[in-house]
Amino acid sequence: MEVTADLLVNALISGILLAGFYAAVSVGIGIAFGMLDVVNIAHPAFIVLGAYVAYIAHEMLGADPIVTAFVLSPAFFVLGLVIYRIYYYAFERHGQESLRSLAFFFGILFITEVVLILSFGVDYRLVNTSYSSTTWRVGFVDFPLRLVVPFAVSLAMTLGLHFYFTRTFFGRSVLAVAQDPLALQLMGVNPRRVKELAFALSIATAGVAGAFLIVIQPVQPALGRVFIGLVFAITVLGGLGSITGTMVGAAILGIAESFTATFFGPSWSPAVSFGLLLAALAFKPTGLLGR
Amino acid sequence: MGNSLRIEGLTAGYGSVRVLEDLSLSVGDGETVALLGTNGNGKSTLIKCIMGIVRPTAGRIVAEINGTDHDLIGMEAHDVVQLGIALVPEGRRLFPKLTVEENLLLGAYRKAARARIAESLEFCYETFPRLTERRAQLAGSMSGGEQQMLSLARALMTTPSILLVDEPSVGLSPLLVQTVIGKIKELKERFGLTVLMAEQNFQQAVRIADRGYVIVHGKIEFEGASREALADNELVKKLYLGL
Repeated sequence: MEVTADLLVNALISGILLAGFYAAVSVGIGIAFGMLDVVNIAHPAFIVLGAYVAYIAHEMLGADPIVTAFVLSPAFFVLGLVIYRIYYYAFERHGQESLRSLAFFFGILFITEVVLILSFGVDYRLVNTSYSSTTWRVGFVDFPLRLVVPFAVSLAMTLGLHFYFTRTFFGRSVLAVAQDPLALQLMGVNPRRVKELAFALSIATAGVAGAFLIVIQPVQPALGRVFIGLVFAITVLGGLGSITGTMVGAAILGIAESFTATFFGPSWSPAVSFGLLLAALAFKPTGLLGR
Repeated sequence: MGNSLRIEGLTAGYGSVRVLEDLSLSVGDGETVALLGTNGNGKSTLIKCIMGIVRPTAGRIVAEINGTDHDLIGMEAHDVVQLGIALVPEGRRLFPKLTVEENLLLGAYRKAARARIAESLEFCYETFPRLTERRAQLAGSMSGGEQQMLSLARALMTTPSILLVDEPSVGLSPLLVQTVIGKIKELKERFGLTVLMAEQNFQQAVRIADRGYVIVHGKIEFEGASREALADNELVKKLYLGL
């Protein structure tokens, strides 16, 4: 295939737009896995759940998915609270969280998937919004609004979270909680409460990312599995415990995937993504911006 | 308005192992009391009982904060800290992957501390100039002495009324031990703190203590009403000075 400037720039732009979506998908794992040490592999299942909720709201009320996501994010927050409580009482309290909780979250992943299949079948679902088929053109560069809107909202959300975690008392306690929960108690903070709220926040971001997902592409119940590798790759590549790291990781993998898909075909994308991850970890085991 | 600590008939342990047996002591308002004893005699367990980290099986722990009595038994550590009791823990327990400044800011989490955060921060940097130089550095990358200073400064950021210090000298060179102990005295005088310090290093602890207790196998074996009484005691001489 001939490489033209036109193709290159378009691949770059769509990579950056894709990266915005990836950041929204991964930021929750960046919180749960990167900051709290909770290996929530069910995270993508909550994203798919969010996509279906947005789908239903659109079918029944004609609501825009992204508006739905923010309106319903408190519900996802509460869902997160409940799941963390179960996780805490069943595993973390006994200090047996690592392996057993993996099974727990795998279970949640499968249950969510099966419930969605039983309720909606295995067909792909898509939401067509007012901006879904609009594309801005600047010169020869395409800006499909289907990607631009999630990109902009995601950027606002992740930057907001970044400032929240680095500038507020609660945010700093989230950064500290996995490092030494007892020391955090000695600062007068209840570590269980911190983990609970931060985990709930991570599930709320999954709900929002789900709305982006159904605007960007058709969704079926098992789609979450596709994202498990991707979200962990982004979080680890960017560096654990850093939201900016997650954003950088998302940017690198989004752009790499877009270039690979444009010039070599989409099936090479995972190989390139994980190749980049391996290379980065070989030179900087803490990830690019990890502490 | 007084800040004091009273412990009566405290019994505590881990599983079937009893570490503290019917132990009583008190720390009066504005006093610095040294809790002396060699390793494994229960000093740290006592401190952990006060903080609610270890649950005693019997006894009372009452803290008087600004003239009001609080029963500490059954409270969780974060609630004890919220009352105005801070601990500089054994092994420093910093957040290694947070910067010096982030560690200090976390110290000011409780409401009463947030109100005075700018003042406290300025004071900490003034008192510990090394921390100013290293404010943007990760706490885990500092030397042991610097970490002990940071741990002390961080506890101070909580603006406590009562300060507990557990083994501040462990792992430090004699010169640094002297500096750290000196700083504790300085802080105590500046803020009128009530201090209980568990320490193995007799010579250094006695330098700043008003009085002290010697704890052997979980019991108070000797109560020294003054610095001199401690230094003259036969048991102390046997345990610490090898006389």
